[in-house]
Amino acid sequence: MATAVNDINLDPTFTDIDRSARAILAPPGYKYWIWIGFLLTLTLLAGALWTRQVYVGLQVTGLGDPVMWAVYITNFVFWVGIAHSGTLISAILFLFRTRWRTAVYRAAETMTIFAVATAGLFPIIHLGRPWFFYWLAPYPNQRYLQPDFRSPLVWDLFAIGTYLTISSLFWFTGLIPDVANVREVATGWRKKLYTIVALGWQGSDRQWRHFSMAYLLLAGLATPLVLSVHSVVSWDFAMAQLPGWHSTIFAPYFVAGAIFSGVAMVLTLLIPMRWIMGLEDLITPWHLDNLAKVILLTSLIVSYAYVVESFMAWYAQDPIEMMTFHMRYFGPWGWMYWVMVACNCLIPLALFSPRIRTSPVPLFIVTIFVNIGMWFERFVIIAGSLANNFEPSTWRFWHPSLTEMGITVGAFAWFVMLFSLFARFMPIISMTELKEGITWLKQALRQGYAKAA
Amino acid sequence: MSAEVELVGAFTDEERLVHLIRELRAAGTQFRVYSPIPSEHINKAIYERSSFVRWFVLLGGITGIVTAFVLTIGTSLEWNLVTGGKPIASVPPYMIIAFELMVLFGGISALTSWILLANLPTFEPLSGYRSRFSSDEFGLVVRCAEDDAPRFESMLREAGAQEITREAA
Repeated sequence: MATAVNDINLDPTFTDIDRSARAILAPPGYKYWIWIGFLLTLTLLAGALWTRQVYVGLQVTGLGDPVMWAVYITNFVFWVGIAHSGTLISAILFLFRTRWRTAVYRAAETMTIFAVATAGLFPIIHLGRPWFFYWLAPYPNQRYLQPDFRSPLVWDLFAIGTYLTISSLFWFTGLIPDVANVREVATGWRKKLYTIVALGWQGSDRQWRHFSMAYLLLAGLATPLVLSVHSVVSWDFAMAQLPGWHSTIFAPYFVAGAIFSGVAMVLTLLIPMRWIMGLEDLITPWHLDNLAKVILLTSLIVSYAYVVESFMAWYAQDPIEMMTFHMRYFGPWGWMYWVMVACNCLIPLALFSPRIRTSPVPLFIVTIFVNIGMWFERFVIIAGSLANNFEPSTWRFWHPSLTEMGITVGAFAWFVMLFSLFARFMPIISMTELKEGITWLKQALRQGYAKAA
Repeated sequence: MSAEVELVGAFTDEERLVHLIRELRAAGTQFRVYSPIPSEHINKAIYERSSFVRWFVLLGGITGIVTAFVLTIGTSLEWNLVTGGKPIASVPPYMIIAFELMVLFGGISALTSWILLANLPTFEPLSGYRSRFSSDEFGLVVRCAEDDAPRFESMLREAGAQEITREAA
């Protein structure tokens, strides 16, 4: 018999799960379209700024020797990092049969796809002649030129391309049974759309047999990718000779930071979505608690990396390395370093409190700080190290231009817009997996709302 | 010889359904199961061997590795420019490309093979399918001679079928 606490059904059935998840797909109201319109406007403004940059040239940015990589590459690394947690939650935690992933993995995976799609724009935006971006790809050409496969930039092309493709395939595969589910109750153009996307799925034993094997193997293939992609991105820097970049700890340091920022972004999106769409009966405080614990753990790893990085600079007693780190703490951009330390090391310590981990508003605030802190971390490493290179006479500090700032804001708008559109038109909650682990969901509901009961 | 019919039973109890599937399989009966969730128990009750998807993934992965080394070593030898004092064909960095293409080709093989092996895409409904089998009920479709239908109907009812309908095969 069903029991309810504050309108939360603590004993849901398959039908209850379907009802809650399908309710999100009801036609959105005018407020939703105002929100989409606002985000689209910001995206188009960023597009206009980029068009002007292509027309006028890179002088509209604050870039200049020696800081040739600044905000655009920071955005690239930041968004690739954000993308990590989706595959961590969908693939690695799937292999470990982690109970709390079922309610949140689709949202995290969707975030991954859109974050990689956002990240992928920035190396192209960063180019002075973006129409030649395909020169990175190996193809027979009349110039007899081939990319250097020893270059981390070429590794990056393969790593990001593979990551986007595999994440998309994994996401699409998991989506099929849920789209088939909503197809059965949809009408009009939605029914046509869902019928095409579901590929005619009907959940027969033969379909499930091959689906399950493919899903398991895709999870297995995606797992090493999670760890490899940001390692490869970190080598864009670590393979260079530059002090502040040339470090052996970069791969694990970047991967931990990526999971840290990615899980924070998952919560930044999930908490308002849970509130706006009334998903308290599917995403419980227990789920928030577990995601917050991942943030706390990775925050401690990132803090440790900051300490080790500084220790290595001191222990090596290399004067140039030591000067780089001195400038990082106390130079003109020192405030960014301390913002980063406050946001990534100190504020997440609040998550030691179980009350904060399970309270949506304080948790949301912490995740916003983590997002800010991780953006600054990328900037401090990338542009900060370039600004203080080997030759002090060339030291120069980048100043933001309207173009760079506008495109950065536009990228956030573009990402949130894609996520908002998906959440209202495709199943953002995996009904199939929630039903498969319905005993886990009931356990989550009882644990999450135990206090209310 | 009597005409063939299909009995469609709707179930909510997975465990009893699995038990019935084992009985039907032992008797050599033709049947199909619909499920709203991926069920390991149903899969094991029907199939002894794992899906062939795994072999396609292995093949895809190996193809990816071979392609990567042919691409990297081949193009380096074709355009043999020494950079950084490294050998023309520097295998260790090429292993990164090999890893990426192994995953890429393996993943594409996984998707294409499972879709093709599952007979998708199809826009013709399979016989006996009901929309609730994608939502909250399990379905079992038994194909049998019309004369045997009453016996199978009672088997389905005993296994907890909520509703049984008979259709021409």
